[in-house]
Amino acid sequence: MLKVRIIPCLDIIKNKVVKGVKFKNIKTLGDPVLFAKKYSDSGADEICMLDITASHEKRKTFLKTVEAIAKVIDIPLTVGGGVSQLNDITTLLNAGADKISINTAAVLNPNLIKKASIKHGSQCIVVAIDGKRHNKKMIVTIKGGREKTDKTLINWAKKMQAFGAGELLVTSMDTDGVQKGFDKEMLKLINKEVTIPVIASGGVGKLRHFIEGYETNSSGLLAASVFHTSKYSITKVKNYLKRNKIPVRL
Amino acid sequence: MKKKVIGLIDSDSGNIGSIKKAILKSIVRKPYKLKIIRTKKDFINVDKIILPGQGAFATLINSLKKKKLYNELLKSITDLSLPYLGICVGMQILASYGHENKKIRGMNIIKGDIVKFSKKKLTIPHMGWNSISIKKENKVFKKKDLHLKDFYFVHSYYFKGVKKEDVTATTNYSINYPSIISKNNIYGVQFHPEKSHKIGFKIINNFILKS
Repeated sequence: MLKVRIIPCLDIIKNKVVKGVKFKNIKTLGDPVLFAKKYSDSGADEICMLDITASHEKRKTFLKTVEAIAKVIDIPLTVGGGVSQLNDITTLLNAGADKISINTAAVLNPNLIKKASIKHGSQCIVVAIDGKRHNKKMIVTIKGGREKTDKTLINWAKKMQAFGAGELLVTSMDTDGVQKGFDKEMLKLINKEVTIPVIASGGVGKLRHFIEGYETNSSGLLAASVFHTSKYSITKVKNYLKRNKIPVRL
Repeated sequence: MKKKVIGLIDSDSGNIGSIKKAILKSIVRKPYKLKIIRTKKDFINVDKIILPGQGAFATLINSLKKKKLYNELLKSITDLSLPYLGICVGMQILASYGHENKKIRGMNIIKGDIVKFSKKKLTIPHMGWNSISIKKENKVFKKKDLHLKDFYFVHSYYFKGVKKEDVTATTNYSINYPSIISKNNIYGVQFHPEKSHKIGFKIINNFILKS
């Protein structure tokens, strides 16, 4: 039976893991390699890392961090942040990433997803979607939620599937960072409309939130703070899910 | 003592970093060495072959043909009977035919066809950790090590119509399909042992030491 994936996410600035609330009030938490190794050893099903500054001059440092993490883990690694052209994808794959997450660049240039999935295969192309409610509609935002687009969430998700995305990483800007649980409504809706796997992101603060995430039919559940602050270990989350009859890898 | 050579084929289809890391870890202080195969003549003196593959059936076959590795690989694992481990699409190309976009001939070493999961509304690709059920163990794949353990899968196509005697393990995803196949010196796994933590490493280690 296919297990639900528990995915810790490392937001990275200058080779340090950071955490901010809704991308503000950013705090430094530590060495990403140590975090990644700990998570891989303790049963994380996959690791996600994002270059959240994605500035041109810091790119080399980020690539070194990707290489260093790929060396110490033996589970899949998804990397995102600042991917704007085909060449960025190749560079990250060569640095040891297994999947590349593309967000703003997909909105600005949807054909990038087509080209990338033809060149590297859909299995390594993840489209990250930052959804938000606006005038009673769910829309797509970019640049870390700061900028609204004219795209509605479901149409965009379907389009990205049609363009060759192998997976969607869906973050609700309405629930991210505030630890009150996943955006169940948004995730259920999107899972109903696409047939590619969806990773749910944004809002985990309590153990039961993982169950709620699973109930949206998402195939992966992503969280950051609760793991980085050691509020919960990966093992604790998985044992809890198992006790609640949810299939996990132990 | 002469070291045995593990040949890892770099087909330009996906990166070989993780599998290389696993092989190197497996052969530390053992009479083996690793050789990356990029050209036809790299096959010389190779004792065992590993081929990881990602993406499409046709892409891998075309890439191997373009680099003039295809015939040499076929010869090495059929005429010379060198032990072979195919990973993901590296396993799928052992089939008679692949049916991705159009029908393409495979190496036809394990009879069967590579076809898409067809159940309606099924999430595709089959992506994530799933368990295997050992049907017929052998020296590389031991039931006591692997039965009901979870491995990392990413694929939309599966091996259909494989003879029972060639099926080592099955996995369930809408249907039961072969996730490990073995026939004499030929082994194939649909999942990614190089991404499957310690238990995945065990498979690579067993292939190197016991095949």
